[in-house]
Amino acid sequence: MSPPLLEMSGVRKRYGGVQALDGAGLTAVRGEVHALLGPNGSGKSTLDKTLAGTVVPDAGTIRIDGAEASVGGPRDAHALGVAAVYQQLSVVGDLTVTQNIVLGLEPARRFGFLDQRAARDRAGAALERFAAAFAGRLPLDRPAGALGPGEQQIVEVAKALARRPRILVLDEATASLHKEQVDVLFDVVRELRADGVLVLFTSHRLDEVFALCDRATVLRNGRTVGTVELAATDEDELVRLMVGDAPHQAPRTPSDAPATPSVAAPGTSTLEVRGLSADRLRDVSFTVRSGEVLGLGGLQGQGQSELLLALFGGARVTAGEAVLDGRPLPRSSPAKAARAGVALVPGDRGRQGMFAVRPIQENLSLASMRRRATGRLALRAAAERRAATSMVERLRIKIGSLADPVSTLSGGNQQKVVIGKWLLDRPRVVLLDDPTKGVDVAAKEEIYAIIRGLAADGAVVILNSSDNRELTELSDRVLVLFEGAVAEELGADAISERRLVSSALRLAPGEKL
Amino acid sequence: MTGVLDRVRGVQLSGLATVAMLVVAVAVNASLQPNFWDSYALTSNFATFVPLVAIAVGQTIVVLSGGLDLSLGAQVTLASVVAVRIVDGSLDRYPLAVAAALGVGLACGALNGLVVALLRLQPIVATFATSFVYSGLALVVLPTPGGSVPFEVTTAYRDSVLGVPVALLLIVALALLWLVLRRHRVMRHVYAVGGDADAAYASLVPVARTRVWAYVLGGLFAALSALAILANTGSGDPFVGNELTLASVAAVVIGGTALAGGRGGAGGSVIGAIVLALVANIIFFADVPTDYRQLVNGAVIILALALAGIPALQKRRAA
Repeated sequence: MSPPLLEMSGVRKRYGGVQALDGAGLTAVRGEVHALLGPNGSGKSTLDKTLAGTVVPDAGTIRIDGAEASVGGPRDAHALGVAAVYQQLSVVGDLTVTQNIVLGLEPARRFGFLDQRAARDRAGAALERFAAAFAGRLPLDRPAGALGPGEQQIVEVAKALARRPRILVLDEATASLHKEQVDVLFDVVRELRADGVLVLFTSHRLDEVFALCDRATVLRNGRTVGTVELAATDEDELVRLMVGDAPHQAPRTPSDAPATPSVAAPGTSTLEVRGLSADRLRDVSFTVRSGEVLGLGGLQGQGQSELLLALFGGARVTAGEAVLDGRPLPRSSPAKAARAGVALVPGDRGRQGMFAVRPIQENLSLASMRRRATGRLALRAAAERRAATSMVERLRIKIGSLADPVSTLSGGNQQKVVIGKWLLDRPRVVLLDDPTKGVDVAAKEEIYAIIRGLAADGAVVILNSSDNRELTELSDRVLVLFEGAVAEELGADAISERRLVSSALRLAPGEKL
Repeated sequence: MTGVLDRVRGVQLSGLATVAMLVVAVAVNASLQPNFWDSYALTSNFATFVPLVAIAVGQTIVVLSGGLDLSLGAQVTLASVVAVRIVDGSLDRYPLAVAAALGVGLACGALNGLVVALLRLQPIVATFATSFVYSGLALVVLPTPGGSVPFEVTTAYRDSVLGVPVALLLIVALALLWLVLRRHRVMRHVYAVGGDADAAYASLVPVARTRVWAYVLGGLFAALSALAILANTGSGDPFVGNELTLASVAAVVIGGTALAGGRGGAGGSVIGAIVLALVANIIFFADVPTDYRQLVNGAVIILALALAGIPALQKRRAA
């Protein structure tokens, strides 16, 4: 028997403190549509990228047709017959659709001068199959950036197909497609399968997986947990594989918190959100009271970060309002939101949460300077230092000196600085956007304690997390978002990792798992 | 979605703004310079435009790739002094001098490209540093102004063919050269890398090599600029390129090319360069007192940059 077309094994990849892949692998044959499944952060995309050459793994082997292949970059992958459609598009918006489809492999005449007609022919042929998705008129000469997200995604697929791959990687390729576009794509994938192409299909949508795929490999925490024949498997079984057997129920009793940060009003605050709509956010309503941790769950990118940003005045709200203790929160400005008592610990701390090269003290005191400034203008060095020191002690931030740049700290301590910056401003509402992403386990526990302490001190806490375990440990309630709307609200007794996954995947509620 | 549409519209708007500035500059200049349309005045005007036009085209290519070359002016200086030392008044050696100038430009560009693409230094810092190397070398080659270009070359440069100034033909030739380059795979990759380097990398574009090429082409146009300066002035000067660097960046911006890269073209920069040169003319003929000329020049350039930037501002507000 001939060897399988693709064998990946023992693939490892580490990003900073996070082990994205920890011995993942899969085996697939030609003429197969093979699904890659797993919860948020299980390493699906990273595994796709190691095959496509945009991520170079730390270890692991890839065999194609039984021969070991070394994939050091996208060009190597191309030489091996691998083409990929990425979750984050590789479409260049300023180039036309034709230019994008032939990008990197432009047909040329002598001396490298472009053969525009051949390019147009090739692009037309690749896009032709998707004519139905463009209402029959192929936008070959339009700038790709002027197309809708779904159309750009189709262009991306056409580009991969124009490379005539033996292995086609579709990483969340249906995420921004309409139903009709998905149907067209599936027809094309089935044609490819009939032609002997191996299609690796990564999707969060289980119904698509069952409709299209032959087998599925499930990843969990960067490891392959199994490969199943989909015809002999049901959704329960898949979710069980994704979540694991151990029903990890975290102790929800607040441990002895090292930190009891002070919050402005230890009385009762109430945040009421009514019909809030913004970009990627549809008609979200809920109420949270002080002392409560409201979790935001669901698949990644379903509007969780957008919701936090909208509450912080950082997104354009198109409808609805958020009311804190009877007063509407300012919609348009983070500075005003902060003054109204709202703090946002952003998910991308490197970009939005801190000034990495500036001293720790400055980072800590920045958001609350106006509270200490004399006559709203002059800063006193001693007061600034005292404030920063108090927070370093309270949150147990491990630092050398207050004058060191934040970038010298570990990820966990950096994140504590970002949290501390806002606590100095004594917020009534604390919004946390994936606060422990890329933070090591010990620091995670300390941050959990800080979050519990915040709630215990009477803050309204809203926590978005891509880590379901974190949500089960910290949340009193969880709103599961799907495509910008609240899909389900889980009460304290309903929160479990398994329930979070099945709800995120929009399986029928109440299924026994 | 709408943001993208606005961006497409923004490019057209800025093209319109560039052309409008050219029209205004020509009108003002013509009203102030009594014999503006005479063939002698036209010839000498165009003769002064060519060096800036050439360097602006080179800067455009670098900017399109997502970079910036602050050493282009120094490259012009180095290429011109090397050429003038070689030619030394003899027409026989002129072809050799041209080849040497081009060689200097390509070599300087290659060094910049390698430093930026392989050592991954910030383009602004890296080319700022190499600019000192190039101007330093120029001083070694020609410590004081001097040397002479054969008079056949300077005469031909200020001649006209069938009533059309040679210098204008050279500008047309530079524009044509740009159009030819734009049909080449390398330029397509330059646009892709400047537009989105990650996407280009994932799409099999050789990103580092493309960046090097952009700087090499920048150096080539710097050499062409050097040759034009020599033909215009007739002698060498180890400081001649100093002011060209920032003028080239200004021309690119006035021409509507995005400094972020990936969007625009040298057509606008050619017009931008001519606008800048006309501004200098206008100030001269408007009898601005000598002490105030630089001040007024700066103010007008700021105005032009602001006008070119307005469409981009509107885009940001819409987004």
